[in-house]
Amino acid sequence: MVRKNRGYITLFLLPTVALFILVYAVSLVILFGTSFTEWSAGRSPKFIGLTNYIQLFTDDADFRQSALNTGIWVVLQSTIHVAIGTIFAIILSMKEFYWKFARTVYMFPNIISGAAVGMLFLCMLNPDFGAVNSIARLFGNADFSQNWFMDYATAFFSVTMTWLPYAAVVTILILAEIAAIPESLYESARIDGASTLKINLYIVIPMLRNIIGTCVILSGTSMLQKMDIILMTTGGGPGNETMNLPIYIYKTALMDNNFGYSNSVGVFLIGFGLIFVLLCRNLFRIGSSQH
Amino acid sequence: MLKKGLGVLKYGFVILIVLLSLGPFLWVLLASFKTNAEILSNSLGWPSSFRFSNYAMAFKIAPISRFYINSVIVGIFGTVLNLLLLGMAGYVLARFQFRGKKLLMGAFSLSLLIPGAAMLQPLYLTVNALGLYDKLIGLIIVYTGFGLPVSLYILSSYFLTIPKEMEESAYLDGASFIQTFFRIILPISKPGFGTAGVMQFLLCWNEFQFAIILTTGNQSRTLPLALYYFKSQFASDYGVMFAATMVVIIPSILVYILLQEQVVSGLAAGAVKG
Repeated sequence: MVRKNRGYITLFLLPTVALFILVYAVSLVILFGTSFTEWSAGRSPKFIGLTNYIQLFTDDADFRQSALNTGIWVVLQSTIHVAIGTIFAIILSMKEFYWKFARTVYMFPNIISGAAVGMLFLCMLNPDFGAVNSIARLFGNADFSQNWFMDYATAFFSVTMTWLPYAAVVTILILAEIAAIPESLYESARIDGASTLKINLYIVIPMLRNIIGTCVILSGTSMLQKMDIILMTTGGGPGNETMNLPIYIYKTALMDNNFGYSNSVGVFLIGFGLIFVLLCRNLFRIGSSQH
Repeated sequence: MLKKGLGVLKYGFVILIVLLSLGPFLWVLLASFKTNAEILSNSLGWPSSFRFSNYAMAFKIAPISRFYINSVIVGIFGTVLNLLLLGMAGYVLARFQFRGKKLLMGAFSLSLLIPGAAMLQPLYLTVNALGLYDKLIGLIIVYTGFGLPVSLYILSSYFLTIPKEMEESAYLDGASFIQTFFRIILPISKPGFGTAGVMQFLLCWNEFQFAIILTTGNQSRTLPLALYYFKSQFASDYGVMFAATMVVIIPSILVYILLQEQVVSGLAAGAVKG
């Protein structure tokens, strides 16, 4: 069958291969190739060896801040965010009366565009008319009214809060995995007199190792591309308080026209992501048998 | 005692999550019917009347309808093209053995590991070189590519569940390869395509960073950028800004509520096996 179908196999694969080359392969070649050059818009790239990388690591405070922020967000996202999603999934799996409503509503901030989420929070936290400050004033604490996104003390925390609690994707993935645990396991544990808390702690959570590991990778790596909400709310500021690597790439490439340098940040970002994924795979022994 | 404490904790957690998810929407929805004065003086209260003038104004002063049409075009074509190409590739990869298959699968799954942000400048360059800068078709091609890893994964997992006998009997009846794919495989794979399609559509509908980099004029910008536009241009007309925000959000919510089970099963599709 294969010999006869060879022409069709090629025909069916060709468009996707072309797409892959156009979008990913060409980009990777440009990225790595030009990360060793000095290159700005309208000029041709000039090979300068490791100069960009040396500058990144020794003489670029903005880069250090961006990398640090990205790192903190990856850690927060792969711990607190995943924990919130896991706990909520376990609660929803008890299928109490509200569970479908809660699951639906929880999905909203995850399904709309990051730009819209940014806008919602920009309005909620506005110092003049925002709900948060109005509620604060209601309790008589007028000093509480501040510009959350523009204040050095609160900007990082405020931006983080626009995505940290919304772990609906984690919740859905873990709910699906819980549904696959055979009912008999719960029953026998109950017959042995185990409480719901104990069943969850000692039976359910250990069985979720693989999927929790997957969620840690998905949530953590999503922080390596986070740009829309930050651009909408703080634009990376004040100063570079909420700048991360994607915004730094955007800034150096398309506002400063410093293409070569920006691409060396891109290479760093890919390396950062690969190390994170490999670490998680080992930590959670993803792919190995659970039993 | 412990049990009661846990119960309180549990309901507290659920209520907090629901409030955090629903609160901002309801507040902005209410505010979108208020006048500027009402928003500033009575930020937490009910609007004095439900007027739609903010909505009319949002459509009038910003090219939202243009952005809307662009988003619909990019969403539909970006999804259809993605499903067609990756359906074909996924079918071949799920069903046939051939030289170079491992290499190809490795390359495709590599694309999952590359953060989009790293490709900002290279893709800008490619799209520019192809003469597709500031054109909807440029966005469509880029989004079709971005959906490659997820769609390929969902679709080929689905094809693997279809019994081989279906195709064998089609071949015996004299159907060609192409006929078998389009007449037999496509129709029975509807759930798989539905799942991949919803995911891909939401990707196209919500994407922001490449939309802002690959377009410049209102002629080719998409809906998420409308908000960016509003933020800078009409920052003092709060009611209109709220209305514009709702206009951008409501379609996503509607699509989600209508296709809820599809989205949920789509997200969960690979998880259990993976």
